[in-house]
Amino acid sequence: MDADAGPAPAIVRLAFPPEPRLLGTIRLVVGIVARKAGMDEEGIEDLKVAVSETCAVAVGDLNRAGRLDPIEIDLVESADRFGIEVRDRAPAPAVAPGDPADGEIGEIDDREFGLALVGALVDDLKASTLQDGGNRTSFWLRRGPGTSPEPAQGSVLDPPETLPPPLT
Amino acid sequence: MDLDLNVRKEGDHSVLEVAGEIDVYTAPKLREQLIELVSDGSYDIVVDLEKVDFLDSTGLGVLVGGLKRVRNHDGSLQLVCTQEKILKIFRITGLTKVFPIHSSVGDAISAPTE
Repeated sequence: MDADAGPAPAIVRLAFPPEPRLLGTIRLVVGIVARKAGMDEEGIEDLKVAVSETCAVAVGDLNRAGRLDPIEIDLVESADRFGIEVRDRAPAPAVAPGDPADGEIGEIDDREFGLALVGALVDDLKASTLQDGGNRTSFWLRRGPGTSPEPAQGSVLDPPETLPPPLT
Repeated sequence: MDLDLNVRKEGDHSVLEVAGEIDVYTAPKLREQLIELVSDGSYDIVVDLEKVDFLDSTGLGVLVGGLKRVRNHDGSLQLVCTQEKILKIFRITGLTKVFPIHSSVGDAISAPTE
């Protein structure tokens, strides 16, 4: 993953099976590591939402594809930022763009909504497909108080220009 | 990690107190509770989020689904929340324009419904 001063080694690397019940554990670990790395409480909460949303998309894609491949997470520090990279082996999502993931809501596509929420919470969100299949999503957040991004107006339902491309 | 749900009646309103984390894993439990309330004829619902530690987009989707259900019966779904970390999620998704959000259950119950 790209950092301010080039690639940084992961300080913590996690791998977990694609089970929704484990998302809370992931948030717990990310919260602890980010706090030890000097993130403020608002930043920690933003990272927990961002990693949970990213992993939930991966869990959903893998479950729909009937795959059990583990999801990998790298937690990375640079001089003034904390970064997270999530990698999965999910094939392209079977859900057509615009279709609700679970048929519940109608107006809201849970998958795209979740990724748009991540884009609003963190910096430098990058999403790409892996050469041998799967997805890589990474993002950063600056350390220190009052540095969490928040749109001054509008919402992720009115996507900003910086919204990342879909994971497909 | 778990999600605790408690329902009580306060006048014409059903108050659903939610405690814990709302994510992909736990949101179905909340969805089922909201469906059950509406099926039982509760169309004016107050969802108290004061004890919620985490809320993701799936949880937001469930709340929007609940709102749609009560509106089909000319009802209301109001939220109680003062936690900045949860309010931030509603603000950046634009859902503060969709849900009436109050600082207490009393305020929610006494607020005029649309």
